[in-house]
Amino acid sequence: MGLLEAIWTDIQLLAFPALFNIYFAASSLPIGFGLAVLLALGKNSRNPVVSRLSSAYIYAFRGSPLFIQFFMFYSIMLALNPIWWRPMGIAWFAMSPLFIGPLALVMNTTAYTAEIFYGALRTVPKGELEAARAFGMSRLQVFRTVTWPNMIRVAWPAYTNEVTFLFHATALVYFTLPVIGNQKDIMNKATELFERDFNVFLHFSVAGLYFLVITMAIFFVFGLVYARMMRHMPKERQPHRPRLRFGPKYIR
Amino acid sequence: MGEDFAFWLAYLTNGKHLAFYASFRFTILAAVFGALLALVFGLLGAMARNSRFAPLRWLGTIYIMMVRGIPDVLFFLFFPLAFEQSVEWALSLSVCSAEARAGSAWPPCPAANLFFSTTEYLILACVSLGIIFGAFTANVIHGAMRAVPRGQLEAGRAYGMSEFQVLTRIHVRQMWIYALPGLSNVWLLLIKATSLLSLLQINDIVWWAGQLGSPNFLPQAGLVHGDWRWAYYTVLFVFYIFVTLGSEQVFRRLTAWARRGMPLEA
Repeated sequence: MGLLEAIWTDIQLLAFPALFNIYFAASSLPIGFGLAVLLALGKNSRNPVVSRLSSAYIYAFRGSPLFIQFFMFYSIMLALNPIWWRPMGIAWFAMSPLFIGPLALVMNTTAYTAEIFYGALRTVPKGELEAARAFGMSRLQVFRTVTWPNMIRVAWPAYTNEVTFLFHATALVYFTLPVIGNQKDIMNKATELFERDFNVFLHFSVAGLYFLVITMAIFFVFGLVYARMMRHMPKERQPHRPRLRFGPKYIR
Repeated sequence: MGEDFAFWLAYLTNGKHLAFYASFRFTILAAVFGALLALVFGLLGAMARNSRFAPLRWLGTIYIMMVRGIPDVLFFLFFPLAFEQSVEWALSLSVCSAEARAGSAWPPCPAANLFFSTTEYLILACVSLGIIFGAFTANVIHGAMRAVPRGQLEAGRAYGMSEFQVLTRIHVRQMWIYALPGLSNVWLLLIKATSLLSLLQINDIVWWAGQLGSPNFLPQAGLVHGDWRWAYYTVLFVFYIFVTLGSEQVFRRLTAWARRGMPLEA
């Protein structure tokens, strides 16, 4: 069997597992995005209790490894199984890796994204906020017309980085949660293939290729969104699209 | 009350727990040596990126793109396995017969089969951590090198220093001030990555937490405890938060020390 043929076989074998990585990322990102906006507003809040609590949450989840967080969530769910999930009859759902995985990822990405949004919130021009208030806008209107558009434009490149890192983090899911039947992600399948014929270079390279290609696709799509967000700016003053570059603050 | 205290004291100091406490050394060793290697790879990478020799520059770019586009777990597993197989292959050239090597089985013959111990896996883990975070360090150092005021380098040249002297006596020494915030970030990432050691069959704190927390039944004592894994993992969760807090303090002091004598805003 030629090398190209072997690579092609691997690409086919890893296509279905790749869907699991995409599922974990796609299911946790929108929820994390929404919660992160709330959490960032909470950290920026003038109420000291809300602000402290939000900061503490963000610090805790950014300051500890996601690997441990997965174990922690899974074991907590496991401990709650006999007292809550089983009596309620939802154990099949609550104990499924397809639920716990996104749960842990949401908790994690919320913290990272909130920190990005909080940084962006602080760059919203004070003058614009005052102008909006002077027009007699309600707080919701100020948020919708001034805070949000400013914040999301500043935060978008960093958020793109966070999305790719979250996608990479999905590789950890099945190292910590039980594998049920055919539900395997890229890393899991690659390890399984490796254990069959010990060809580490082939299987791990193809797995890496999958991550690389999907990462590039994320950058491309988010770059298009960014270009659309920035379409009001004159061409020469438009900032560069987010590219495959370093954002080490946002890794797990 | 007294009985409770005696139970906890005995429980938390039994042999398995002492082994658990001792396993913190793997995490600490991996963090320290991983960081040192990352610094070395980072300096090399930054030099490669600054190189006038194009292929070396491309190598630097490819290195950074690979590390950036591929999850660290994949690298962390791949490097030790690839290294093991490369050594086995080199070994098989001398110890295996030609017909065994022609076959498709791996390893070609039992004599070329290596079994790495914890120490060897720990060294390999340090090297993979060094490779992964070396790319981040290279980026930080590359930026810091460019942040050193040009005037200082020109002053060095005006004193008649050679290019190499300017590099070692002024450029690299002044660079640290600008690199420290970035290096602090990389260190925080690296600490978090040390939690992956158990993937390389090292019995580190994560592995022990799983072992100690599982429901514990002894024929003499009956059920000692049920599933306590959540408590052990929560302790590790808190442990890492405290390490992060402590590291931030240390880096704050280090920055203050490195910046002594400098104007406040620059």
